[in-house]
Amino acid sequence: EPLDDSQASAVCATEEVIRYEYHVLYSNSYQVPVLYFRACFLDGRPLTLDEIWKSVHACYQARLLERPWDTITQQEHPLLGQPFFVLHPCQTNEFMSSILTSSQKHNRLTNYIILWLSTVGPVVGLNLDLSYANLAPEQNT
Amino acid sequence: MTDDKDVLRDVWFGRIPTCFTLYQDEITEREAEPYYLLLPRISYLTLVTDKVKKHFQKVMRQEEVSEIWFEYEGTPLKWHYPIGLLFDLHASNTALPWSITVHFKNFPEKDLLHCHSKDVIESHFMACIKEADALKHKSQVINEMQKKDHKQLWMGLQNDKFEQFWAINRKLMEYPPEENGFRYIPFRVYQATTERPFIQKLFRPIASGGQLHTLGDLLKDVCPSAITPEDGEQKTQVMIHGIEPMLETPIQWLSEHMSYPDNFLHISIIPRPTD
Repeated sequence: EPLDDSQASAVCATEEVIRYEYHVLYSNSYQVPVLYFRACFLDGRPLTLDEIWKSVHACYQARLLERPWDTITQQEHPLLGQPFFVLHPCQTNEFMSSILTSSQKHNRLTNYIILWLSTVGPVVGLNLDLSYANLAPEQNT
Repeated sequence: MTDDKDVLRDVWFGRIPTCFTLYQDEITEREAEPYYLLLPRISYLTLVTDKVKKHFQKVMRQEEVSEIWFEYEGTPLKWHYPIGLLFDLHASNTALPWSITVHFKNFPEKDLLHCHSKDVIESHFMACIKEADALKHKSQVINEMQKKDHKQLWMGLQNDKFEQFWAINRKLMEYPPEENGFRYIPFRVYQATTERPFIQKLFRPIASGGQLHTLGDLLKDVCPSAITPEDGEQKTQVMIHGIEPMLETPIQWLSEHMSYPDNFLHISIIPRPTD
């Protein structure tokens, strides 16, 4: 049965809607993709890094603390000039090369961006739909 | 060469006379006097303004004070840009002292990064150095250094110790004897009139034939409008550390001698004054 207005607004008040924005950029300096993201409440108020940490699933929180390549810092978006949170790119090559080598050993076709994004994305709330796994792989490597 | 070492010192010890004024809407218990300070061009606003903060907090109530931020003629100043870059980009052709407005409320979340402690500045500074070395040496030199060397770079900057800083930084300015320069030049070109905060591209200091690329070559590649005159008149200036280097200057030399301590060449393209 339909909720009347007062009940509907009571339900909404206990949930917070957060809008996440993700950008994938390419770093010329490190020659790897880099994930930039930010989040805000519907009224426009941005989330702090602490608030974002809390919304990351508990199983990733422990992993994030032990892995240096997952450091998140606030940085200026190189095209928009606005503050975003960034997953640090300097160790990307290391973990990507081990994934790529084992894929090649098992003759599995690879799409670099899907591999990379499905590894780092969930750590900051970005989950790729499984159908991405069926996308055509890259032609080379 | 003795002359070249002098350039390193001139760059390091450059100062900008600045007048800090409290924003008129900040609530004070008594009148706030302006505060005058010589700012190091090579440092960062939040690293060198502890005295400014203390001075204004003396006339304010505790509850009115949150994170400090700075503004020039309505534009929030990005603390993570070196001071000299901010001045050249926004105020270089105006009368000294540079007038900066101090705020303690309404932090502009959409424009400025937060800076809750000196650790944030150190983190940012070291990240720039690491990125510069990724471009110059595929990160080999910075990765071979010990943690204490990294610390010495930061302490040298923080404590204004030229010799301490350069004892380590000189290693970041070396290149293999068989090469004639770095792999790529760490640089950023800024123009206040564009949406985009800066332009950064891969650029080699040595051409395939072995000639040294110049500042003019870099600008032609990255920002041609900066050096091609419109209607025969040069409407812009190309400024680094408050001067206009000749466009014929080899970019490898500029990178070694006129980079900021973060190892980047920060280049401003500004309107040429009309008088």
